[in-house]
Amino acid sequence: MRKNPYKVLGIKEGASYDEIKRAYRELAKKYHPDRYQNNPLSDLAEEKMREINEAYDELMKNAGNYQYRPDYEQSYDNSNASGGAYRQQYQQQQQQQRAGSQSQSGFNTQYQYANETDLENRARMYINSGNLNEAQKILDRMKNRNAAWYYLQGLIFLRRGWYDRGYTNIQRAANMDPANFEYRNALNNLNQQSTGYRQNYYYNNSYHRSPDMCNLCVNLWCADTCCECMGGDLIGCC
Amino acid sequence: MFGYVEPDKPELKMREYDVFRGYYCSLCKTLGRRYGQVSRLTLNYDLAFLYVLLDSMSSIPIGGKRQRCIAHPLKKRFIIFSNKFAEYTSDMNIILMYYNLMDKWTDEKNVMGGTGALTLKKAFKKAKKKHPEKCAEIENHLKALSDLEKQGCDSVDEVADEFAAIMREIFECKCIDDENDRKALGWMGYNLGRWIYILDAYDDIEKDVKYNSFNPLISQYGFKGDDINSFKESIREKVNFTLTYTLSEVEKAYSLLTIEKNKGILDNILYSGLIVKTDKVLQERGIKNEKESL
Repeated sequence: MRKNPYKVLGIKEGASYDEIKRAYRELAKKYHPDRYQNNPLSDLAEEKMREINEAYDELMKNAGNYQYRPDYEQSYDNSNASGGAYRQQYQQQQQQQRAGSQSQSGFNTQYQYANETDLENRARMYINSGNLNEAQKILDRMKNRNAAWYYLQGLIFLRRGWYDRGYTNIQRAANMDPANFEYRNALNNLNQQSTGYRQNYYYNNSYHRSPDMCNLCVNLWCADTCCECMGGDLIGCC
Repeated sequence: MFGYVEPDKPELKMREYDVFRGYYCSLCKTLGRRYGQVSRLTLNYDLAFLYVLLDSMSSIPIGGKRQRCIAHPLKKRFIIFSNKFAEYTSDMNIILMYYNLMDKWTDEKNVMGGTGALTLKKAFKKAKKKHPEKCAEIENHLKALSDLEKQGCDSVDEVADEFAAIMREIFECKCIDDENDRKALGWMGYNLGRWIYILDAYDDIEKDVKYNSFNPLISQYGFKGDDINSFKESIREKVNFTLTYTLSEVEKAYSLLTIEKNKGILDNILYSGLIVKTDKVLQERGIKNEKESL
């Protein structure tokens, strides 16, 4: 069953271009795969992202058909491109991620015994598919406890919801191999998720940031002063 | 242990507050009707939240009327009509509270716990008959939890996992038809349970030191009997990270649910209520917040 694209984007029927684009951008940020890394619900988030993309494409396409004047169509094409930027970025990232994991494994083959690397890759595969028990079994069999081992162990803990140990393990991996981009990135992502949630609250809460009268007056006064500097005047009486 | 999931009241709209209280009253009445008047005393906010959440996922509009009740005999209040979600959460409420009271009785020989469990026994049997597999799962996790506590387990993650699994069991309600929604609900329950357990552990540090009882934070971070406040201070940042990250996972699961109504109330709890509560327990920031919110 096809869903109503307006409902998917959470906007009123007949919403303007800007509204559609804004809604799309908000949702794309919310369901961005970066946010659902190491999360058992990542497949659901991906599905949601697909729905949003389809809804957005459909709305943009339909709106284009309703227009008769070519100059309008031109501008719609442009807006389409800018609004879809998130999707492009998303697709690129997906590709990069795939390429990244491939190059990662390629890198490892050069440096380690084939056997250990093989195990590591299989563990990675199990983690990605969500089969944590199998992944854990493989890790338990590995003897060489290097940075990669701690990283994978960290990922398993995160997926299980054991964030304290997950964080410690990934931190250890990043400390053992400070040059590795993947480990550092994962660590940063963890910190970001946690502070991001808090910020969300502080910014959403109006009693923490509502502008007061004092602020308003100072702003007006500043604007007036600036205008006077340039030779004009904003508030005539002062 | 229960009652940490609350809305951030100063930020709620009057109408939203009325509706939230309507749900709370509705659950209370459902408990009374199905399990007898005494059982109404066991009602807690966490289950009321679950009721609001589950009902918000169905597209049937809210219905209710102004009624009187024993607790507030003078004024009529808006009470939402009971439905299958109210019945489910009231069953879960009885099951959880019974186990909780039993636990108090067997572990601490707490007389209040013993008598409470005794009075709830009949209600519990009735609820258990309706959800035998849920009860079996919960019993397994509780058994594992009490074993870990007896061993003095020194990993917060490991102990919290058992309690979190109980909450996952409770959140995965069969009344919700969509499989994806149920999966997201389960993850939400798991993380919420984890948050409740760790927050409660931090809250109880003083008490547990005094009575020499088990506390995962004390065993993980090795409290050596010096000043309690400086110990709490030293682990605050770590606990803060774990709790906030757990909440961010709760929020991620929440944003995948199909919410049809009450978005204002749920958003308030998810984006504000939980973090305000966290800060209140972690104190440092809590004191400041409370002043501001007044």
